[in-house]
Amino acid sequence: MTESQPKPQTVADDKKVHGVVAEFTDVDSLLAACRRVRDAGYTKADAFTPFPVHGIDTALGIKPTILPWIALAAGLSGTTIALLMQISLNGQTDLFEGIQYPYIISGKPFISLPAFIPVTFELTILLASFGTFFGMWALNGLPRFSNPMFTSPRFDRVTDDTFFLFLDAKDSRFDEAGAKALLGELGGEYVEPVLEDDSSKVIPKGLLIALATVICLSSIPALAVLRMRVTKSSSPRFHIFPDMDFSPSKDAQQTTTLFADGRAMRPDVPGTVRRGEMDWDLNFKTGIDMDKLASIDPPRAAQLVAMQSDVAVDGEDEVVSEAGADEPAEEQDGEAAEASEPTAETSAAPVTADNTPWLSENPLELSEEALARGQQQFNIYCSVCHGMNGRGNGLVNRRAQKILATTWTPPSNMHDPTLYSDVYPDGKLFSTITNGVRKMPGYASQIKAKDRWAIVAYVRALQVSQNASLEDVPESERTKIEREQAEVQAQLKAAAEAEAAKAAEAASAE
Amino acid sequence: MSLAIPNGLDNSNDRPGQRAPLVLGDTNYHSITEAVCKIAEQPPSRAWVIGFLVSVHLATMLGLCIAYLIYTGVGVWGNRAPIFWGWPIVNFVFWVGIGHAGTLISAILYLFRQEWRTSINRTAEAMTIFAVVCAGTFPGIHVGRAWLAFWLAPYPSLNLWMWPQFRSPLLWDVFAVSTYATVSLLFWYMGMVPDLATFRDRSKNPFRRAAYGVLALGWSGSSRHWMRYEKAYALLAAFAAPLVLSVHTIVSFDFAVSQVPGWHTTIFPPYFVAGAIFSGFAMVITLMVPARSIFNIEKLITIRHLENMCKIILTTGLIVGLAYGTEFFIAWFGQVPEEKFAFVNRAFGPYWWAYWTMIACNVISPNIFWSKKARTTPWIMFVVSIFVNIGMWFERFVITITSLSRDYLPSAWAYFSPTWVDWCMLIGSFGLFFTLFLLFCRLMPIVNMAETKATLAKELHMAHADHSHEGDH
Repeated sequence: MTESQPKPQTVADDKKVHGVVAEFTDVDSLLAACRRVRDAGYTKADAFTPFPVHGIDTALGIKPTILPWIALAAGLSGTTIALLMQISLNGQTDLFEGIQYPYIISGKPFISLPAFIPVTFELTILLASFGTFFGMWALNGLPRFSNPMFTSPRFDRVTDDTFFLFLDAKDSRFDEAGAKALLGELGGEYVEPVLEDDSSKVIPKGLLIALATVICLSSIPALAVLRMRVTKSSSPRFHIFPDMDFSPSKDAQQTTTLFADGRAMRPDVPGTVRRGEMDWDLNFKTGIDMDKLASIDPPRAAQLVAMQSDVAVDGEDEVVSEAGADEPAEEQDGEAAEASEPTAETSAAPVTADNTPWLSENPLELSEEALARGQQQFNIYCSVCHGMNGRGNGLVNRRAQKILATTWTPPSNMHDPTLYSDVYPDGKLFSTITNGVRKMPGYASQIKAKDRWAIVAYVRALQVSQNASLEDVPESERTKIEREQAEVQAQLKAAAEAEAAKAAEAASAE
Repeated sequence: MSLAIPNGLDNSNDRPGQRAPLVLGDTNYHSITEAVCKIAEQPPSRAWVIGFLVSVHLATMLGLCIAYLIYTGVGVWGNRAPIFWGWPIVNFVFWVGIGHAGTLISAILYLFRQEWRTSINRTAEAMTIFAVVCAGTFPGIHVGRAWLAFWLAPYPSLNLWMWPQFRSPLLWDVFAVSTYATVSLLFWYMGMVPDLATFRDRSKNPFRRAAYGVLALGWSGSSRHWMRYEKAYALLAAFAAPLVLSVHTIVSFDFAVSQVPGWHTTIFPPYFVAGAIFSGFAMVITLMVPARSIFNIEKLITIRHLENMCKIILTTGLIVGLAYGTEFFIAWFGQVPEEKFAFVNRAFGPYWWAYWTMIACNVISPNIFWSKKARTTPWIMFVVSIFVNIGMWFERFVITITSLSRDYLPSAWAYFSPTWVDWCMLIGSFGLFFTLFLLFCRLMPIVNMAETKATLAKELHMAHADHSHEGDH
C-alpha cells in the first residue's frame, strides 16, 4: 500500500485493511476476472478456489515454483548419503575407524555397487519425497493457522464451491475504492474488504503453563532412564527380556533329575574313548616309569592303572571312539574332555615322592618346533607367576609382593639348582605341572599332556640359557652373539654418553 | 445393502467419440462436498458399527497373540526346521502386495492422466497405508526378539560393534518397505489436506474445527499454494511410481537371491509386481463395492470405475498365469534336477491342494471378466475379488512353504502345519486392517473432493465446449 493514498474509513473501527475480496460461482468467470486484474497491473492478486483451476497461473501471472530443484537437491543428497553410508560401513575405509563392518558375504566384494543399488535408490526417493513434501509447505508458508482471510464467515465456502478473487492491499496499485469497483465490474459478488486479523498473537498463559507442565512431566521417564544409565549398581541387572541370558543347560557339579544317579556331568560310556584321549601310554600321562613302579610299589601301580581303566582296559580294538554319536555332545570336544582328566591324575600324585621312578628323559621327540610350542605355552600359563625368564618374578608375584599378600607362597625360581634335571627329573617336573605343588594348581585341565612335556623341555632350555657360557653355543653362532653383544654395549655406551652430555648441558644452561 | 446398479448410474458405455462422464447425476461442486462430508458428519450407520466392533475384536486378538508370542517365544508358531519362513512371511508378502494397488492408482494412473482414478484414489491410498501397517507387523515380530528390531537400522552402536549388512536383500527390504510406508503416508496426507480444510470449514463443533484445523495446516485454497501443491503432487507421484515397482521387486529379492529351488529365479521381480497389483486391485474392489453402497457415493465411485479395475484385474491375472506357466517351462528347459523337482512337487506334491487353489482363484476366476456383464455387476466382482485375495495369499504360501519344505537335504524335509497362533494372527491382521479402514471412513474424507471437483469442472467445460461447437454448425 502506498502512503500517498488516503485510507478510506469504510469500517467503523480502525482496523487495517488487508485487501478486497469478491466471490465468483464458476471457473470461467473467475478466469476472465483474473486476466482482467492481471492486465490492470495488479501483481499481488490471488484467487482462492476449492480445487486447482487449470490455467489460473497464467491468468494471474504466477511465476513457476523452484520446488523441482529442491526435490532434485534432496534426491541427490539421498544418493550421496546412501553411497557414502554403504561404502563406509561395509567397505574397508577409515571413515568410521573401528566400527566398520567388513564381512565377506556371498563372495561379493566389500564395495559392491550392484548390491548397493537398492538402498541407494530407496534413500534417493525418500529424501526427494521429503524435499518435495516439506519444501512445498515451506514455500507455501504453511502451516499458518492465523490468516486474515479466515475472518470472514463467507470464506468458509472456499473449500466447498465458491471461488474468491482477492486484491492485496500491499499491491502498489491498490486503493480500496478502485479495487472494489474493479471487482464489482468483473462480476464479483459480495465484494468486501478483508481486515487484518488483529487478534492477539500472544499465547494464553494458561495454555503455556499447561504445555510446560506436559513437557516437564513427559521428560521424567527419559531423565530417569538417563540417570539409571550413569548410575552404578551392585544389584544384578534387571531383565525385562531374558534375552537367552539364562541357559537351562547344567553347569559342572550340578544335579539333575534326568539320570538315575542324579549327576549332570556324565561319566564316559564304557568301551568308548573321548576325543583327544588317544594315547594310552601311562608313562606319558603320569611322568612315571610304570614298569619300574610295578616292581617297587605294585599296589600304587595297580591303583594308577585302575584310575585310567575305564578308557584303558579295552585297548586298541575299542579305538572306535570316533563313533561318538552316542556320546553327550559336550564330551566330544577335545578341550572339554581334558577337563575331567585331573580326577585320575590328581589321585595319581605321589604321596611319597622319594622312591617314585620318575622318567628322567622327556618322552617327547625334541625339536625346534616342540620347544617353540613349549615356550608359547610357558608364556601363556606359567610366566604370569614364574616370569618370562623363569626367575619366579612374574606379574602376579610382583603384585602379591606389592600388596604384601600374607597367604602368598612365592613361585619357584626355575634356575634354582634343586630344580635341575639331575635332582628334579623331567617326569617329576611334568607331574608338578600336571598336579600342582604347594599353592600352584594342577594344569592338566588346561594344558594337554603333549604341551606339558613341551613346557618341561622349554624349562630345561631356559635353565641352560641362564647359566650358559659362550662355549656352550655352537661355533657358527658365536660370532653372531659376539657381534650382538658388542652392538648392545655400544648402544649402552652411546646412551650413557648422551645422558652425560645432556646433564652437562643442563648444568651449563643453569 | 444393495449391490445392484441404481437406475441412471450406468456410465459403462463405450461409444467412440464420446467420453463417458466420471461424475454422475445432477452433481455440482456443493453436492460432492455434501456427499463426502456427510459420511463423517452423520452418526455411524448400523453396518459400520457392526463392522467396526467385529474388526476391533479381531485386532485385539492380534494384539494379544503378539503379546503371547513375545512373552513365550517364536515356538508358538508352526515354523519348524526347515520351514523357518512360515505364515508370518507369507502374511507379510501378502499385505505388502495389497498395498501396491493404492500407489499404482494414485501415482501411476495420475502420471498417465487417467482421470477415473480421482474418486477412488483416496481410499486406495488409505488401503496402502493400512496394508503396509499390517505387513510391517509381521517381519517385526518374526525377528524373534522383537524388542531388538531396531538393530535393523544403521545406527552407530558401540554395544553391537557392527553395522547392518548392506549387501543382503533382507536389509534392502527394510529400506524398501520403510521408504514405501513413509512416502505413501506423505502422499496420502498431502492429498488429504485440502479436503481436511473442507472438513474444518464445515465443522460447527469448535473441538472438531480445531482438530481438523490443525490437520489442514491452515490451507486456504490460494492459487499460489495450489500451484506448488500440484507440482509437489506430480513430483511425489513421479517418485512413488518407480518406488512401488521397486518395493515388490526387492521383496522378491528376499527369495530370488537365495538358492532354494523354486526361489532362485530371475522372473520373480516382474512376477511379484504383477501379482501385487493384481491382489491390490482385488482388495480395492472388496472395499469399494460395499463402501459405495453403504455410504451412498455411487455417483462418485461409478460402475465405470469398478469396470476399469476389473479390466486391470483381468490383465494382471493373465500376467500372473503366464508367470506360473513360465516357471514350469524354465524348470523343464533349465534341466536343473532340483528345480524340476521343486515345480513338480508344487503341483503334485503334498501341497497340491494349495497349488490348485491358487490356480483356480488367480488364473481361472478372473477370466469371468471377459464378460461385460460380469465387469459391471458389483456382486460378481465382489465375489471374484474375494477369490483373488484368497488365491494371492495361497500364491505366497505356495512359494514360501513348498520350496522350504523340500530343500536340498531330504533328511530335513518336513510338512508345515500352522498353529492356532498362526491362524489367529492372520485373521487378526484383517481385523487390524479393517479397524483402521473403518476409522478412516468415519474420520477422514474418503473421496478426494478437490480432485473430483476438478474433474467435474473439466467435464462441465467440455460439455460447454461441445455445445458451443455444435452451435457453430
